[in-house]
Amino acid sequence: MPKLIIDNREIEVPEGIKVIEAADRAGIYIPRFCYYAELGAVGACRICAVKFVDGPVKGIEMSCMINAQDGMVVSTTDPEARDFRRHVIEWLMMNHPHDCPVCDEGGHCLLQDLTESCDHGIRRYKGKKRTYVDQYLGPLIQHEENRCIQCYRCSRYYQEFAGYKDLGVMGIAQRIYFGRYAAGVLESPFSGNIIDLCPTGVYTDKPSRYTGRRWDYERVPGICINCSLGCHITVSARYREIVYLEGRYSGKVNGSFICDRGRYGFFYANLEERPRQGRVRGEDVPSGRAITMAAQRVKEVSESHGAAAIAVIGSGRSSLETIAALTHVCKVQGWRGPVLFDSRVSSESVRTAVSCIAQELAVSMKEIESADFILTVGADPINEAPMLAMAMRQAWRKGAGVAAIDCRSLDWPFQFEQVTAAPDDMADFLAALENSETTVISDRFVAQIKSIAAKIRACHRPVVVCGTEITDSKIIYGAAGFVKAMRQAGQEAGLFYTLPAANSYGAALLDEIGETAEDLIERIESGEIKALVIVESDLWDTFSDRQRLIQALEQLELLVVADFMATEILHRADIIIPTLSIFEAGGIYVNQEGRAQWSPPAYAGGTPIKITGQGGHPPRIIRPDIPAGDISPAWRMAWWLADRQPPASHDLLLDWMGKTFPVLEKAANFTSEGIRLYLPEARRKTARETGGRKIQSLGEYLLLPVAAVFGDEPMAQRSPCLEGYAKHPEMWMAASDARLFDASDGDAARLQLPYGPLELTLRLSERIAPGTLIVYRCPDLFWQQFARSSRFIVPKDRIRIEKKA
Amino acid sequence: MLPETYKSELKDRLQKVGNPREMVVDVMLEVQEFYGWFSDEALEQAAVLLGMSSLEIEELATFYNTIYRQPVGKFVIHVCDSVICWMENGYGELIDHIGKKLGIGMGETTPDGLFSLLPACCIGYCDHAPAIMINKTVYGDIAPAKMDEIIETLRQEK
Ligand code: SF4
Ligand code: SF4
Ligand code: FES
Repeated sequence: MPKLIIDNREIEVPEGIKVIEAADRAGIYIPRFCYYAELGAVGACRICAVKFVDGPVKGIEMSCMINAQDGMVVSTTDPEARDFRRHVIEWLMMNHPHDCPVCDEGGHCLLQDLTESCDHGIRRYKGKKRTYVDQYLGPLIQHEENRCIQCYRCSRYYQEFAGYKDLGVMGIAQRIYFGRYAAGVLESPFSGNIIDLCPTGVYTDKPSRYTGRRWDYERVPGICINCSLGCHITVSARYREIVYLEGRYSGKVNGSFICDRGRYGFFYANLEERPRQGRVRGEDVPSGRAITMAAQRVKEVSESHGAAAIAVIGSGRSSLETIAALTHVCKVQGWRGPVLFDSRVSSESVRTAVSCIAQELAVSMKEIESADFILTVGADPINEAPMLAMAMRQAWRKGAGVAAIDCRSLDWPFQFEQVTAAPDDMADFLAALENSETTVISDRFVAQIKSIAAKIRACHRPVVVCGTEITDSKIIYGAAGFVKAMRQAGQEAGLFYTLPAANSYGAALLDEIGETAEDLIERIESGEIKALVIVESDLWDTFSDRQRLIQALEQLELLVVADFMATEILHRADIIIPTLSIFEAGGIYVNQEGRAQWSPPAYAGGTPIKITGQGGHPPRIIRPDIPAGDISPAWRMAWWLADRQPPASHDLLLDWMGKTFPVLEKAANFTSEGIRLYLPEARRKTARETGGRKIQSLGEYLLLPVAAVFGDEPMAQRSPCLEGYAKHPEMWMAASDARLFDASDGDAARLQLPYGPLELTLRLSERIAPGTLIVYRCPDLFWQQFARSSRFIVPKDRIRIEKKA
Repeated sequence: MLPETYKSELKDRLQKVGNPREMVVDVMLEVQEFYGWFSDEALEQAAVLLGMSSLEIEELATFYNTIYRQPVGKFVIHVCDSVICWMENGYGELIDHIGKKLGIGMGETTPDGLFSLLPACCIGYCDHAPAIMINKTVYGDIAPAKMDEIIETLRQEK
């Protein structure tokens, strides 16, 4: 390991890193524009010049281009180096507008900082500045090209790192222009990162435009809960609302970047329609009063029908604290639940995955970047866990092969090989890969499977990524089994599951039974359950049989709904209790690899000033409290509902959690990278369980609703700025099946389903498994009716195709 | 629209090279030849033929100075605008002279559509500075009289 001296400080750094990074490690900041750790060095901007005083390199050189070597003596403060940098910043500023006060980057602008720190205070250039026409880039990002200093971060990130081709650099010399071929919405679901990356104000956050300067905000580190990956974010809040989110570096999870679903998925916390008061039988009451009344009514039901007549539903979007509190309260009160899974299939899948994840098998998302082969089984990262696709792309850029076993027409920003398999065949393909047993699979695939198997055998660090949405427990076990087998064969194989929600893993840790909403509905119908308490969950959105749901709810004596979002089910509640979002209450979320991460509160809560002031000046009513500042986190409410006292503080709550639930023993000892929690051996499932029944016979189609990056996840779905990003109702069909219908791409498909007709645009692909119909979930579609819990089969004669005009 | 024969012939050629990107410059020039300049339509068709995004083509098209993203005259005069030519005596006057002779400034096209005038960053003919390039022909040791002669000859030729 080379030892060098930078500014009189001796440091030892790993072989192969650049001087600029060595300086970072020593806590010495060298100015940079084009250099960005995750994008690597290109030496384009010349602002990182330092003086090499002694050792193998001499004189002024770019610190981002020179490897740190033994015996180097580097000065960042040498007068010659400072003079060099002063000139560089002067020429970079030549064309830059002098209007920081009206620029939204001002206050967190790297160009501003470095202009100051490199000592360029007075402009000497008297000529005309070059100017550009800005482009419309969609509702998320504002473009102001005049501010560009040609560092190339945006185009390198967008095309090389992320793999999208609609933003880049055009022109030459003084005409150089960063943008799109023509104005229009950026195509990448990872586009927002250029806001964080651009060292000046060329790309700024559009929804929060002109709401404040960085120092106006309450800024805290946070965890994204818009999917199961738990990427690290920085939260900015002001005037009792979330202003924007940024990517935050994590060496274990997401690196520096996040996806647009995560970046813009927070608006549910600001919305006016969000419950902020209690409501009892149509009347507004303070939230504390709603809790007391709910507790009272629950007690009455318990007295007249017994404690088991009360059931609780939670979900994977609640914090671990809330899930633990609900679990505890149900247990001590004798209530049923908490039910934490929507359907039997998802309960089974998630609990199987969590039971398969073990310390030695699990890899973190960041580790995927150094895999040398990635096999996915029934997983569509772009749509289910977006940043995973970025991690896979980085592995692919370093030469890793990628193969996917899937029934969808996958569309990823890197090359991969797909084995098109129907959901029911995926397990066989996986087994064939594992033990070269190809008799179970169709002849057509044998050669392909053999070639992939050979590639996997030849590599050192293969990773198996397995989804839990369209797979069954057999596949999920199979993936873990394959990884174990590879490890036994001496490969450093890793396992990575994606899960349906941010805290699905946490739910599975605490839920020993795996009861589902379906089970509860049956018990409501049979009259066993009389009171239902729904906490941060929306049965309306997740339960497939709406008619049945409505009837069941009508049978109840009491429906209490507690949530931080205005869900549909809220409208049917006898008592509504508002709860706090993650931004106000904070919370622990356990991501899909078992990493429990704490996201602290960003602000104290309360109705945003924008709402209390109705867009104008905040009302001048003197009051000692915050409007709607009396809402409690759901975990406190859980105790109160049972007429018990919750732990007095969050610290005490963590203590209590560790003592009450052995599996959470370590939960209170957090590091910034979280802590990994695994199920104890005794609670792991052992037997391979089989999935749903095999269905395919000729003339039948399996209708499969699948995840979509936008318009599907319940929280991000509520963001007004993401509205236009949801897919239009589409049905994907195998090209070979389409021939039976004489259908072509773009035709209208009409399905006769038990709840009525469904109209979709038909899309064809060779990579859809025959016999499968894929529908991306979107708000314009009542996809719940064919949610996979029921393995929805459509006979051929229920499908009509109308030729497009 | 490009002729189908060209498209299918190009498809064959693209198949022979390992990566279609290797042929981007050739395709841009050929398509430009057909349209007379590299219009949006030309660019978008080139993108489809090469399996690249319009932006990727635009990145290259706007980089090279003989790909014309705006209509140009029949003869495009690229006048060297680089240091060796600058050093030649009478360079400034020569530039003024060409402009006056054609009645246009840099970046403009004569109303009859015959000539466009563009600066070029070195055309590699420094030993015969000042140098110009008209379409694919390079001319050296240019003086006002010689320039007039060239222009007149081209006018005859049209
Ligand atoms: S737009 Fe921003 S990130 Fe892109 S090159 Fe210009 S300054 Fe750099
Ligand atoms: S990948 Fe998932 S966790 Fe990461 S930013 Fe996107 S939605 Fe959030
Ligand atoms: S940061 Fe080193 S040249 Fe730009």
